[in-house]
Amino acid sequence: MIHVPAPDPFTVFGLPRSLDVDERTLEARYLRLSRECHPDLHRASDTGDCIAVLQRSAEINDAWQVLRDPWRRARALLELLSPGVLDRTKKLDPAFLDEALELAEQVATAGAASAPALRARLQAALADDFAAVRADLQRGDHEAAARRLHASHYHRKALADLEAKS
Amino acid sequence: MSAPPTAPPRLVVGIDLGTTNSLAAIRAGKVARVLRDRDGEALVPSVVCFHPDGRTLVGREAKRLRLTCPDRTVFSVKRLIGRSAAEVGAEAARLPYPVVAGERGLPRIRIGDATLSPEAISARILQQVKANAELALGQPVAAAVITVPAWFDDAQRQATKDAAALAGLDCLRILNEPTAAALAYGIDGSKDGTVLVYDLGGGTFDVSILRIDDGVFRVLATAGDTHLGGDDFDLLLADRILAALPGGGKAVDPFVLQAVRSAAEGLKIRLSDAVEAELTLDLGPRGTASLRVTRAEFEAAIAPLVQRTLDCVQRAVRDAGLRLDQIDETVLVGGSTRVPLVRERLRALLGRPPHTEVDPDLAVALGAAIQADVLAGNDRSLLLLDVIPLSLGIETLGGAVQKLILRNSTIPTSVTEEFSTGVDDQTAVELSIYQGERELARDCRLLGTFRLRGIPPLPAGLPRIAVTFLVDADGVLRVHAREQRTGVEAGIQVVPTYGLSREEVRAMMLDSIEHAQADYAAREAIELRNKAEAMVRGAQRALALAELPPDQTYAVHKAVKALERLLAGPTDAAALRAGCDAVTQATATIADDVISAAVTRALREEEGR
Repeated sequence: MIHVPAPDPFTVFGLPRSLDVDERTLEARYLRLSRECHPDLHRASDTGDCIAVLQRSAEINDAWQVLRDPWRRARALLELLSPGVLDRTKKLDPAFLDEALELAEQVATAGAASAPALRARLQAALADDFAAVRADLQRGDHEAAARRLHASHYHRKALADLEAKS
Repeated sequence: MSAPPTAPPRLVVGIDLGTTNSLAAIRAGKVARVLRDRDGEALVPSVVCFHPDGRTLVGREAKRLRLTCPDRTVFSVKRLIGRSAAEVGAEAARLPYPVVAGERGLPRIRIGDATLSPEAISARILQQVKANAELALGQPVAAAVITVPAWFDDAQRQATKDAAALAGLDCLRILNEPTAAALAYGIDGSKDGTVLVYDLGGGTFDVSILRIDDGVFRVLATAGDTHLGGDDFDLLLADRILAALPGGGKAVDPFVLQAVRSAAEGLKIRLSDAVEAELTLDLGPRGTASLRVTRAEFEAAIAPLVQRTLDCVQRAVRDAGLRLDQIDETVLVGGSTRVPLVRERLRALLGRPPHTEVDPDLAVALGAAIQADVLAGNDRSLLLLDVIPLSLGIETLGGAVQKLILRNSTIPTSVTEEFSTGVDDQTAVELSIYQGERELARDCRLLGTFRLRGIPPLPAGLPRIAVTFLVDADGVLRVHAREQRTGVEAGIQVVPTYGLSREEVRAMMLDSIEHAQADYAAREAIELRNKAEAMVRGAQRALALAELPPDQTYAVHKAVKALERLLAGPTDAAALRAGCDAVTQATATIADDVISAAVTRALREEEGR
């Protein structure tokens, strides 16, 4: 099974291809596009091409889910700038895998006392990851950005697991 | 020249099809109102009685006959719709009317010699609501927006749509109940902000978090339990009453069950106002139960259930990416939110009393009427953006589920994946679709099997079939497929696991009584054989790929061999099904043994990213 990429979310939203997006602009545009295309508001005038209306509406919703999440936005951007780069860089540095496993262990054993410090650490690590991805992109080093994105996945996962525990 | 004819405004009503009560509402000129019958009653009890004299009664009249015809009076059918007999087994045992396993293991209600589907019962309720609405409006009603719990899965939604079709209603939209309630609450335009809707009905619990922003109602997250409601509070009290009967209520007949449940419901309602209530239930020759229940005792009994709802609330808030203190308002929906403990615990959790201006019994129908008005094209200022409550995925080798669409994705939403063939000249591929959050297929609900046919015969791996999974605005899945090289649209045959098949709906709508039972059995047998054969091939391939030491794969080899032997003989559906289950179980165990759960997860996520 191979994932077929959806239409480029930046184009769907008519936004420039950029890692940083103004959240207010994004949300306003999402609501405007939804009003223009949502099947609910086009039902009465709908002359039959129901699937096309649904598909367009789905594209807008799916692009919104990608663009509003900085990490998914970064992945989409990288894949656009350098198709296949995420696949090519999948192999993780073993040292990093060790760190990831250790983090998972810490999350699994974290109690009420140690959770806040661990949370702060993970949040800081994620901020570092994102800054590094931004710097790599600015330098045009897509491979480095992709590797860092892959690595950040374990920080996000650990943070999500930690939140799910509380 | 006369003016061009304008179509008269189409009448679309909103219908709240509840576990306990149902009702309709309409919105005309920006004002939504519930529709009442001749006696001024809006609520139609969701009860259908098949009287021995041949009459079918629905609503209040049916409810009154609960004790006269206990085994022919059907209620709480919403708990059965779109589910399997096995899933509803435990609670069906507590119902006074007989629920049996019918074709494909689906629950059927036995009334005398007839068996009825839950869809058919729901259709009778919808017909009554429709008739009341037509009487109140003085004109025919052909279309409706019908509400369901947000937590209903694809099968339960589809079954509700089928019930509407059987009742002669064009169901324009399946709308989530908490979303409907939020519409009723936020319609006046002064309620912009973040709202939590807590909907505890007779049989289901939902919680949804919405952002209301200038006419746009956007659901951020939803969570719930299709198996938790006021009925469960009643059952706890019913246990107390049964225990107070002579013999501890051991020998229960339908009459006693009905009487005890009615008494339990009354007791619950009284305990909402009083701190203690007394009950004397005289069942004539079956004995008398006398008991006194204090509110404190009742609350102690229901506290674990209330806690379950609060866990859902916290999960929904987390899924929405919010903290509890970011919720601006809480809206209560459903009769069971009248229970004081529920309000008290919610207030403690959210730090403020819930909003109580919207009538918890009417809010859902009023909201449905508002959405009906939007869909009729009368109001373009409002827009609802809802989400899918449970993730959708397909089964991959080894019994795992690969998620295609994640829960809380705004609908409509779609994803396209490309599949190929495993054998030369293969012209069909089968995909099993699951809904749920767990990682193994056996822990999720199998919604159905999609068979892609008409693939051009090509060497294995060459066909490229793009399959698009699209969840529409009803939260119902649609699948279409296309072979990429030839552009051939692959035909898709849907074999739903639950609910009615398309043929069944057609057949019932045509009122054809002749049911080709034998055809069904034959089709089921063929499908089962195909599945078993595919499983044998798949498991053998997996064994070859995995290169595991023989002691670890012994169980798999054994299960595969057993299944092969079954396939060599004449088809025995039950044995084949058991054989397939055994293979699934055996393959799942080796996956567990070989790789620890954490690594499996990591690998899967690597793939999914």
